[in-house]
Amino acid sequence: MPEIRVTPLGAGQDVGRSCILVSIAGKNVMLDCGMHMGFNDDRRFPDFSYITQNGRLTDFLDCVIISHFHLDHCGALPYFSEMVGYDGPIYMTHPTQAICPILLEDYRKIAVDKKGEANFFTSQMIKDCMKKVVAVHLHQTVQVDDELEIKAYYAGHVLGAAMFQIKVGSESVVYTGDYNMTPDRHLGAAWIDKCRPNLLITESTYATTIRDSKRCRERDFLKKVHETVERGGKVLIPVFALGRAQELCILLETFWERMNLKVPIYFSTGLTEKANHYYKLFITWTNQKIRKTFVQRNMFEFKHIKAFDRAFADNPGPMVVFATPGMLHAGQSLQIFRKWAGNEKNMGTVGHKILSGQRKLEMEGRQVLEVKMQVEYMSFSAHADAKGIMQLVGQAEPESVLLVHGEAKKMGFLRQKIEQELRVSCYMPANGETVTLPTSPSIPVGISLGLLKREMAQGLLPEAKKPRLLHGTLIMKDSNFRLVSSEQALKELGLAEHQLRFTCRVHLQDTRKEQEMALRVYSHLKRLLPTLRTQVPRCCWCPGPTRMRNWGASLPHCSRRVSPRPLSGHTTHPGLWLCLATVPTRTWALTSAL
Amino acid sequence: MRTEAQESWLAWSQRLGGGYQDFHAFDLSAPTRVLEWIGDKGVFIAGYESLKKNEILHLMLPPRLSVKENQGLFPERDFKVSHGGFSDRAILELKHVPDTRLLVTSGLPGCYLRLWHITEDSDVIKAVSTISVQEKAGDLWPRLAVFSMVPRVLHGVQLSSLQVVDLESWKTTYSSGVTDSEELSNLQVLDGDTFAFCCTSGRLGLVDTRQPWAPLENPSPSPGSGGQRWCAEVKDRGQGPGPCFSSLCTDGQLCLLDARDLFHPVSSVQCPVTTPSPDPELLRVTWAPGLDNCLAVSGFDGTVQVYDVTSWEGMGSQVKPLFTHRGHIFLDESKGDTAPLVTTHTWHPCKPRTLLSSASDASLHVWDWVDPRPSC
Repeated sequence: MPEIRVTPLGAGQDVGRSCILVSIAGKNVMLDCGMHMGFNDDRRFPDFSYITQNGRLTDFLDCVIISHFHLDHCGALPYFSEMVGYDGPIYMTHPTQAICPILLEDYRKIAVDKKGEANFFTSQMIKDCMKKVVAVHLHQTVQVDDELEIKAYYAGHVLGAAMFQIKVGSESVVYTGDYNMTPDRHLGAAWIDKCRPNLLITESTYATTIRDSKRCRERDFLKKVHETVERGGKVLIPVFALGRAQELCILLETFWERMNLKVPIYFSTGLTEKANHYYKLFITWTNQKIRKTFVQRNMFEFKHIKAFDRAFADNPGPMVVFATPGMLHAGQSLQIFRKWAGNEKNMGTVGHKILSGQRKLEMEGRQVLEVKMQVEYMSFSAHADAKGIMQLVGQAEPESVLLVHGEAKKMGFLRQKIEQELRVSCYMPANGETVTLPTSPSIPVGISLGLLKREMAQGLLPEAKKPRLLHGTLIMKDSNFRLVSSEQALKELGLAEHQLRFTCRVHLQDTRKEQEMALRVYSHLKRLLPTLRTQVPRCCWCPGPTRMRNWGASLPHCSRRVSPRPLSGHTTHPGLWLCLATVPTRTWALTSAL
Repeated sequence: MRTEAQESWLAWSQRLGGGYQDFHAFDLSAPTRVLEWIGDKGVFIAGYESLKKNEILHLMLPPRLSVKENQGLFPERDFKVSHGGFSDRAILELKHVPDTRLLVTSGLPGCYLRLWHITEDSDVIKAVSTISVQEKAGDLWPRLAVFSMVPRVLHGVQLSSLQVVDLESWKTTYSSGVTDSEELSNLQVLDGDTFAFCCTSGRLGLVDTRQPWAPLENPSPSPGSGGQRWCAEVKDRGQGPGPCFSSLCTDGQLCLLDARDLFHPVSSVQCPVTTPSPDPELLRVTWAPGLDNCLAVSGFDGTVQVYDVTSWEGMGSQVKPLFTHRGHIFLDESKGDTAPLVTTHTWHPCKPRTLLSSASDASLHVWDWVDPRPSC
């Protein structure tokens, strides 16, 4: 069936878990398998029963593709593969493969060990799940089977994030995952070639935003950090180990140089280890400029940034510390946070509960920590805004666009904009809603040289944008399509040409002369039937007595041959011919030759 | 990577004196010449390109800018497009009709008014009706101002075509009735019955619509060297003592006038701006709604200048701005030959030192300047 079907199982007007089912030319692919971070029960997982009520997922799905390591795109993967059951291939990029299990394990630890949740995947399940992973390189065409192939494109956003093209024959779908169109210090911008997929699936969370410039965000960050250390306070920056931390380090280092600051900056050790471990992966996923910078110096040989020791947290005076984990829920960052929280002079940039405004936090052992330090939440994560989405769609040139992650009511304008400016149809399905796209797959047909030459001989030059009508015969043989001239076809098939003529007699009562009437009928019909051939042989215009024949038997008789003679060099062209002959009762005959 | 100039500007902006409290820079997909508030949380912008479809956007300010102090923690520094619409003509004036979901726009080509409706159950701004208000007048378009109590729009290209039209019935409720074809540059509604006008020649007037045309006005200033053009703004009533009219000329002259005696300006100064201004139509002068005696000037180049007019007196003195916003020049990404021009600016209705400014390179800045003077 030449159609593409898309069903969001999560995403699709719900920011939370991304999980999209795509059916393309009979192949079924699952895009991402995310966890909804806002729920603590089964609602956090996508509803896999949409895929198939009975029957095994492995039989139904041809493959699963994961775009990047954020939990709202891969968090439900171990649950899906080990607890629901899927044994087929799972495709992702190398950095994603390396980082996913760490985040999944981290998350599992908190859910099970700290929160005591049951019915959660185990460490072993994460390991088993990762065994099914097939890692891919950028721009590498991967054959999933002999019909389905996939290719990863650079997406920016985070380390290892990719956009995927899924192709079966001449039909293709591109899934963007999360991406970013403006490069930053350590990641480039997303890029895709003019692959012209039938459908582009893109996130639209930030489609209705206009982003503040990076420089202003950085300026704000530097200002707050500077103000804090100037008054002797300490700054705690919880970060994930990857990417963003390096970016902020480079920023602080440059700023410290310019302002000639002596305040110490530290990196917690957990961070250094992890970062060095991913150094190799990291470097091939950054752009040229960054690669050069990192070649010149080791990533952690900053002049002002040193490795952190737990004891330093108790040192008096100002300092800045980068610590993991980013959400402040455990580990070193939490320890430091506890120490510094009570002092208003201090500042931290941080996560969840505190973001929601809570100033009193319950720690282990029922201890209550009162947060007096200033807290700032700075978002440096990179998503595409309206401008970015239009850019990407302009690059790929899809026939249609499907938006996920947006609210239907709030997307009317964007939809209009995409449809008008880019001339593509735009879909916005809700969770569980299936969008069906009819496609017109192109079927390659070989054209005989003779036929082509004959058309060219007609004198008109071919124009790329103007389709022209070509008459010929399509021969389908051995899954091979050829377009040849009718005579050629007849010859090959050993058939003789037949001509069929249909005649219709029309009585017109009129006092005018035959010639005049003939002209009137002719021009009237010519106006109505633009394809009416003008090559009316003169012999048809003869007045004079004729004999009436049986209706439909043959042409009305004329003293000369009435039928149009084949014109030299052409076979009889099908279509409507006007042959006029007069009979005493003024009967006009209209002939159609097939 | 940033250039030296951009790096040093940012470093400079760290310092409190002469620096910014807050600064946000955005890139729109097309430049705008309008910045119209709706309440204190949203603004309208619109494109003005002549040959393509332009967008009208209703932008919600980043939550950060809406709170008085940083009480909540808002990572969001982004504008959100709350509603959008399309216009096949360039939009050069846009006014929101207070307490309604209606917008009135005018632009080129043609002398027309277009009424828009901000739909409730979707995010689309729909064009409701278009009326032609006079014969096409070359490159001129009607200036607009709206009355709030009964939705009416004041419009006019020249003094002769100045009219007040009721938005429900489209009936004209007031006309100037004069044959004077002086071109208008500003219209401003002051209350339910009065409005002010400023002509490009510098002629200013206050009109009471309860009477037939009999404006309180000044004569046009003596014509200077050709090409001079004026614009003006009147302070809101109850914004403090002092002259309420400010009028600005393309040669850099800024006059302060009192409504009681428009014949004799209270003072007139020379602003340090590049003259002649490259695009006289972009000139704009606005009074700060939250500060006494402060006004902002833009349209001469890529800067916005803030002045304190308290101590101004006499005629012809040179003055210095209290603060100059150079962001549009320093953050110019276009690398073109022409530096960007500030197309319009506006003050935040509640935050006293916050302004929005937009430039010809499609940048939109929101900035909160710090008063460089030591507080007494």
